Amino acid sequence: MGFGQFISKPELDILIVTHRDIFQNSAYEHSRFSAEYADQSAIIILTASDMKKIGIKDNDRVLLKNKWGKVIVRAVESKEEEEHAGIAYMLNSPWSNVLVSPETNGTGVPSFKRIKATISSTEEKDVEVLPVSKWENQD
Amino acid sequence: MEIKDFVCTGCALLCDDIGIKTEGNTIEKTYNTCRKGAARIRGDEERMTCTIKGREENIDKAITEAARILSEANKPMIYGLGNSSLEAQKKAIELASKLSAYLDDTSSFCQGPVVEAILEGKVPTCTLDEVRHLADMILFWGSDPASSHPRHLSRFSYFPRGEKRQRGWEENRTAIVIDVRKSDTSEICNKNFYRIPPGSDGELIDALTAALNGKIPKVSFGMSSKEILELANLLKKAEFGTIFAGLGLVYSLPEIEPMIKLIEALNKSSNFHLMPMVGQYNMRGFNHLLFEKTGYINRVKFDGNKVDHGPHCSVMEVLNSGETDAMLIIGSDPLGCFPKSIAEKLKNIPTIVIDPARTFTSMIADVSIPSAYTGTEAAGNAVRMDGEKVEITPFIDSKKLSDEEILKRILEAI
Ligand code: SF4
Repeated sequence: MGFGQFISKPELDILIVTHRDIFQNSAYEHSRFSAEYADQSAIIILTASDMKKIGIKDNDRVLLKNKWGKVIVRAVESKEEEEHAGIAYMLNSPWSNVLVSPETNGTGVPSFKRIKATISSTEEKDVEVLPVSKWENQD
Repeated sequence: MEIKDFVCTGCALLCDDIGIKTEGNTIEKTYNTCRKGAARIRGDEERMTCTIKGREENIDKAITEAARILSEANKPMIYGLGNSSLEAQKKAIELASKLSAYLDDTSSFCQGPVVEAILEGKVPTCTLDEVRHLADMILFWGSDPASSHPRHLSRFSYFPRGEKRQRGWEENRTAIVIDVRKSDTSEICNKNFYRIPPGSDGELIDALTAALNGKIPKVSFGMSSKEILELANLLKKAEFGTIFAGLGLVYSLPEIEPMIKLIEALNKSSNFHLMPMVGQYNMRGFNHLLFEKTGYINRVKFDGNKVDHGPHCSVMEVLNSGETDAMLIIGSDPLGCFPKSIAEKLKNIPTIVIDPARTFTSMIADVSIPSAYTGTEAAGNAVRMDGEKVEITPFIDSKKLSDEEILKRILEAI
């Protein structure tokens, strides 16, 4: 147990834009329960200045949270030449869906593609994202 | 065995030029597919098992139990069907009507508004073959086919030579990308990439419409009036243009009307069309069938001879509000693709899942019924993203029942 956990970590408000990707999609078709699909999904792309603000490096684990849930993913530095401060990218997956609000203002369309959340570096354990069987231990 | 001209069901492009080499019932090689299509054709390595409350059962018992759950429910809901054949979709509509159930599909929270505008004749559309032969202007708005429909650019929209476009992308076609991020497609159409802030699509649509109507366009983000005027001028010079609407655009527009107005303004001098970038291979087929039967493309509740329709019948609202007391899910995985807080409500009601592959939702389902893959294992028809009908012929001899057969047997058991 180090000192680190008593020092509050800097948090940053971000807007997560979700999108799709052929490699992650193929991994899903191959097996949605695979480690490959999880590895490719549990990622957030951040612009360099935002990574600096929360004190993380490429591939560090980060905690994303909002009113609807929390999830731990890996941070990857954006390859775009232009900075996109405050905007981060995630692939559409169960990991991004943890953070999507159930409120649709009566439209029936959740805001899947624009998700507000805070981000910080973390040493917390992984949060379980995928469902566990409802019928285990039934005897 | 060598199979020619197989139809891929990996996305709503339904590519019909796929070659396959098989050894018995095993797929050795696929030709012409994209990566996603190859994975789809090989199928999920974990197939669904037939279970009742987590215990393996035979299919007859599972079908009887599914029928019992649905007939005992007061307000059952049927959802999914974007990955089913037209024949299976017809059975599902019949079942919903017989049960006085809610019925909805993925279009409810994705391309619904675009498909609805097209079927109601509010906006001109075209076929993908017309795009290949005639289009000189392609606009990918909030869509990224290089990632979502990988062969779109090579088969239809950008690279191919067509009747009137013999010089393809090099000279005959202009492709424009409007997106909030630098997507793979925007890298390909590098010259004409317009990056806009998330949620500002409507503002740019209004500004372009104003420019086309002779007004000075303005937006609140970093695009100057001059840039917008130049873009409007480029678009209106097109002989044949198509706007491929992606989810980025649809999610950003509360109503589709501004897009319809933009196309009207463009069509004073040009010939523009709108096409939805449909994901699931037969989502549009479901919309066509339900529209023919009820006049609505999705979000309905049957009640004897009456049909109710609206956002209150949408899968998200019905599930989130606790309005339904049993759900039948066909070829979809809400625990993977809905907001988690809504999907988790499925744990509180009896849920039946029909799918060729083991799904996240099957983990909490009361009944899970394995089906054949329409495509490799079962025959059927489907509607491509442009509305064209495509026939699918299987090549694997499977003992599994198709969605159509399973739904037929549930109907008979009720
Ligand atoms: S583009 Fe779509 S239909 Fe064509 S091969 Fe790829 S996944 Fe299959």
